[in-house]
Amino acid sequence: MKMHNIWSKIFIPLFAIALVAGFCFPANAEQINVGALNDMTGATSDVGKDYALGIGEAIHYVNDTGGINGKKIKLYQFDYGYRVPEALTKYNLFKRLNCVAVLGWGTGDTEALSPTVTKDKIPYVSASYSGHLTDPKKTPYNIFMATDYSSNARAAITAWFDKKWPQHEDYGKRKPRFACCYMFASPYCSAPIKAVKDQAEILGFEIGSDQDVSLFAVDTKSQILALKKFDPDLVWHGNTVMSVSATLRDAYALDLGAAHIINNWGFDENLPRLAGEAAEGAMGVAPCAFFGEDVPLMDKVVEYAKKYNPGVPREKRLIHTVQAWANVLGLAEAMKRADKAGGLGGENIVKKGFETMRGYEIGLGVPPVTLTADDHRIAGKVSIYEWKDGEFSVVKDVDLAGRWPEKWENEWMGW
Amino acid sequence: MSTTFLPCGDYHENYRQDHAWWQTKLIKGKMILLFAILFLYIPLFADSYWISVCNQIGYTVLGTLGVQLLIGFCGQLTLGHAAFLAVGAYTSTLLVLEFPWPGVLVDLGLAYPISILLAAVAAGLWSVLFGLPSAKVKGFYLILTTMAAQFITVDFVITQYVSQIGGRGQAFSLPPGTIKVGPWVIDSDVKVYLMMLVLVVACITGILNLVRSRVGRAWIAIRDNDISAEVMGINVVKYKLLAFFAAGFIGGIAGAFWISNLAAVSPEHFPWFWSLWLVGVILIGGVGSIHGAVFGSIFMVVVMELLQLAVIPLADTYPKLLMDFLFIKEAAFGLAICVFLIFEPNGLAYRWWQVKNYFNLWPFSY
Repeated sequence: MKMHNIWSKIFIPLFAIALVAGFCFPANAEQINVGALNDMTGATSDVGKDYALGIGEAIHYVNDTGGINGKKIKLYQFDYGYRVPEALTKYNLFKRLNCVAVLGWGTGDTEALSPTVTKDKIPYVSASYSGHLTDPKKTPYNIFMATDYSSNARAAITAWFDKKWPQHEDYGKRKPRFACCYMFASPYCSAPIKAVKDQAEILGFEIGSDQDVSLFAVDTKSQILALKKFDPDLVWHGNTVMSVSATLRDAYALDLGAAHIINNWGFDENLPRLAGEAAEGAMGVAPCAFFGEDVPLMDKVVEYAKKYNPGVPREKRLIHTVQAWANVLGLAEAMKRADKAGGLGGENIVKKGFETMRGYEIGLGVPPVTLTADDHRIAGKVSIYEWKDGEFSVVKDVDLAGRWPEKWENEWMGW
Repeated sequence: MSTTFLPCGDYHENYRQDHAWWQTKLIKGKMILLFAILFLYIPLFADSYWISVCNQIGYTVLGTLGVQLLIGFCGQLTLGHAAFLAVGAYTSTLLVLEFPWPGVLVDLGLAYPISILLAAVAAGLWSVLFGLPSAKVKGFYLILTTMAAQFITVDFVITQYVSQIGGRGQAFSLPPGTIKVGPWVIDSDVKVYLMMLVLVVACITGILNLVRSRVGRAWIAIRDNDISAEVMGINVVKYKLLAFFAAGFIGGIAGAFWISNLAAVSPEHFPWFWSLWLVGVILIGGVGSIHGAVFGSIFMVVVMELLQLAVIPLADTYPKLLMDFLFIKEAAFGLAICVFLIFEPNGLAYRWWQVKNYFNLWPFSY
């Protein structure tokens, strides 16, 4: 009875007050609402946590440096656990909160929401760099400040073919052999598969069977043993860093003997920590500079990381923080341009904001951004890095647009 | 016989009255009011956010009904029901996208409704396949065999083979305008909501009728004691498999419905966690009650959303609260199951029954 009284007298009124306050979202003309969906607990949380921290810190930076032409951004940031139904309801909540733009996360939910954001005309700046989101005819409101997975995969295989294959003892005697390891069920992992195999065919690879590696995998010996029968020279990894490092470790232990190229969410500062010696020589895509590298604006990234998340030591911060900053700064710039050009409507942000960017320099090692009404790929050049002797270094800048101009213009966009 | 006591002074004089769904004018009036709220008030006056929350509830109800039928009425434990939702979703998607429908069916907007039916049958048959072990095993061991359904169906068959059809990769894209029911293109939350309501009402009506038929009585007998049921002459294996078929059938409808709310379908949409969630919903709502499936779904979706709305104003002071909300939600889910199992093992449906009877018998309640 006593407990019942406490419950009814204190908790229920408090909950009711909070609920009423929750329903009455304050309308503030000097505030711009932005929603963010992040994965802190789901299948991609190994990279999602750092990205989520970066989003919050970057929004603080934008607000501290004048906001959007004097207006502050109010961020509504949610963890959706990498679950598509959760993402759908959260997106509707963002609409209810009058968010002018959304900073999204995964490929599955971003692609699932794409027709809805197009209908609602809400710019959706995602951490999914799926090539399917780059064709404005199909996905006009999907944008990201990085080269897409398909271009990244094409560039990675090209860099290995140009730089490493000629050093191989069998060079000129046979075709190089190529296989892919990724989680078949994940739209993120499988997004660039068609592109990377197309590129492998263009370059003259022999292509083996794909291996299904879960995003949660800690033991991939059966997949490596299956690969050994094909004896690949090169393996492309499409997962996030935890399962990629497990695969590299098993490949090393079982003496697979292949080189590795890795998509950007599997290639970060944690890779050598988790994979150890097995990571030596691994090549991958970095859509921007690694955390703490000497590039413009990185001092601010480091400063804000220390200021707002002092509990996470600097050595544990990753490139994903920088990726988050790139997306936030790109969105902020688009909003500033749109605001000056007539207002912060979704269509304005895309047409008079993003799509007016021509060689826009974000800093942070992001390639100069060019977005047009016909093409949402920010750049045709991709930097491929290698982990060697304890550091990441550029192997090659692959100019896809320059080397295959016809295909780049007419064929490769949107897949 | 109704499980609810009738208001004082109301008596049944024949079986027809005893078996009527709406037994008094008051009940009829309340039900008409409920339908008016569901079919008119909510679609006309609720904003898109709350409509989408309703759609989430509807999807959960459709998913839960099959689990309720298996666990609550037939006593067959299942932890792989998301697999049958996946079979329904993929069958419907493939039929809509790949099947060469005659032009007249497409023009009449019948392709998707027919695909829902076929998806339900496919999911029902697939469910029977995984119900076969129930002839030999029960309890804990049956849980494991149903879990196998999840992994074999979603992680193996759908991921490795079904998803490859068409060559796109893993996700089937459903371009806007693909889903059409009669003259209506299902392209807004309100249209999805109305379709969901029709399906939920149809499925609940079907199950309510089924459980008060010979089949339903056989299921309940098997649930209460399968050996006694067999001694009474019930073909236990046949009725267990029938329960699996019916559960899979409704799961198929749930999956086929859910694609109307999505633009793309991938195996990621049907994780094992969803199977677990559905069992949690009936534990909270009340095992062995159709009301329980509905109340559990409403509780799990609406309470979580309300909790979220309640924490939004606090986010200014505690910014991490929003990001940590999923932790709170998961913890609340686990806590709710524990609390209900300890303090209200019959679930919300029992509480509802008590409240109804209190008012029906007032002022002369015992």
